[in-house]
Amino acid sequence: MCSTNIYKPELMEIKDIIDETADTKTFRLQFKDNEAAKNFKFRAGQFGEYSVFGEGESTFCIASSPTRSQFIECSFKQVGKVTSSLRKLSIGDTIGFRGPYGNYFPVEEMKGKNVLFIAGGIGLAPVRCIIWNVLDLRTEFKDITIVYGARSFSDLVYKRELKEWKERKDIKTVVTVDPGGEVPDWDGEIGFVPSIVEKTAPGSENTIAIICGPPIMIKFTIPVLQKLGFKDENIITTLENRMKCGVGKCGRCNVGNVYVCKDGPVFSYAQIKELPQEY
Amino acid sequence: MDEKLINAENLSLLVSDLLNEKHLVICQDEKAVGWKSINDAGKLVINNAGVPSNISYKEFILPKTEPIFFFKNEKENFNLVEKDPADQKMIFIGAKPCDARSIEIMSKVFNWDYKDKFFNKRAENSIVIGVACSYQDEFCFCTSVGLSPVTEKGSDIFLIPLNEENYALRIVTDKGKEFIKSYEKYFSDGNTGASKAVLEKINIPAKKFDTLKVKEWITNNFENKLFDEAGSICIGCGQCAFACPVCHCFDIIDEECSYTCGRRMKNWDACQFGQFTLHSSGHNPRNNQSKRYRQRIAHKFKYYHDKFEEILCTGCGRCSRGCPVGIDIAKVAEEINLSANQA
Repeated sequence: MCSTNIYKPELMEIKDIIDETADTKTFRLQFKDNEAAKNFKFRAGQFGEYSVFGEGESTFCIASSPTRSQFIECSFKQVGKVTSSLRKLSIGDTIGFRGPYGNYFPVEEMKGKNVLFIAGGIGLAPVRCIIWNVLDLRTEFKDITIVYGARSFSDLVYKRELKEWKERKDIKTVVTVDPGGEVPDWDGEIGFVPSIVEKTAPGSENTIAIICGPPIMIKFTIPVLQKLGFKDENIITTLENRMKCGVGKCGRCNVGNVYVCKDGPVFSYAQIKELPQEY
Repeated sequence: MDEKLINAENLSLLVSDLLNEKHLVICQDEKAVGWKSINDAGKLVINNAGVPSNISYKEFILPKTEPIFFFKNEKENFNLVEKDPADQKMIFIGAKPCDARSIEIMSKVFNWDYKDKFFNKRAENSIVIGVACSYQDEFCFCTSVGLSPVTEKGSDIFLIPLNEENYALRIVTDKGKEFIKSYEKYFSDGNTGASKAVLEKINIPAKKFDTLKVKEWITNNFENKLFDEAGSICIGCGQCAFACPVCHCFDIIDEECSYTCGRRMKNWDACQFGQFTLHSSGHNPRNNQSKRYRQRIAHKFKYYHDKFEEILCTGCGRCSRGCPVGIDIAKVAEEINLSANQA
């Protein structure tokens, strides 16, 4: 163990690239090393450090489900140096990957319960991971509801999967865009996520809510969930903080004495309420 | 107690032996700026009575910058090449108690769960020869953080200067014992009486604050104007973190050497820098200097203690001595202690 370089990534090959929106892409990745591929196990909610050699590393969740282990997928929005370089890569190119790191969604505790997924914008990436995880084990969960919103139609990610979820009879999928963000033949909802949740969410009885998205969306959705009777410990979200090492050493992702990279990124709202306001 | 004696001449011969055996002998430089590895026994400095160097010897264990691997992109072949730290013994001579503790304290964060082999390899290769300290100024506060000028903990071997020519030497760890055994000819059997008398004469400064009270206060006063006082004058230069023997936060960045090769580096970083926690979205959880100063204090006296039961501070006073705007961490902690008492 002592001779392992914890900062050295595995090499992965880009097998497929999907343009999600004008600035967001999804990569399908495969380990170059067979041993690494065989040994790789992760759980929904965990994250990785993805690198473009010469540019640096960037932190995002693993967006694919652990129930589909032939590959991993990540979705990223072009915002900084590394994501801009990632964006320029093509199928067949090599990137670095370290992970999986951090904790995960409480899938085991969710079994036998209703699940309400709420996501906004690129926040669907971590939620998509657990949505597929749950759908691949569909019989073990009760009612499943997905509420997803983005600013406009062109900002919706995973459109092909939204379509597939909408067509499935065993789940309820509601997709919304902000007023003015719709297209002429838009058949989804128009309105902000919090009000759509209020309108469409199932009861809180025996239900776990998983919510990821922009801080402003989370801020206004949580009171709605509380009004619907959700207990704070049954509202699960993730914290995103700047990270470098991902393994609890480099000292920047902490919120108080909680290291987001090790103790998170998944937290219940009850846990978040205990944290100092520094995230 | 296992105690030996060594005189200045033998100490010099010992250092010559160590150098001949290609070990690194590291001591404070003459101007007390930092620490250096010497190539001549005549250059050995033991600064037990002078001001601590501006920066500690942390850089020999956690370098300011070091490659964690190299990458080469040759046609179809993509390679990551590792280079381990040199397998070379490092003998630190003349570490005051506030320096000697540093490796032990930092090794907690570098070994919880994931282990940092770069840190560990260097720490394993280190032998710390500490020295009883007879210096004290208004910035020192080792006794407030559980140390004292005569604390042996952290050292493998502890020197007590008996006079200009002679040192008594206590064996503290097994590593120290091994070391002494290898160079036995330079040591004679000790006389505890003489060293005890020297230690008793060393003034043990009074505690300035109680770390547990400081910790408790921080827990209950996350939002407090006290942090703004320091934060409003702090210029975010990071001197405090770089001079500190136990500040260990780092950055990871890539450097391209050419079109086809480069290296990934681990560099010193500091929580006082605005970019330290800046998200690529523009959001910054610690978006002003007060929050960044709070992080510094809270990491040292609360978070690190919560996680590892160690105070992330040795009381050396370097951060305060070198602060360009005169922020004194001990005074801030004293003030916190005072507020805690009044509450």
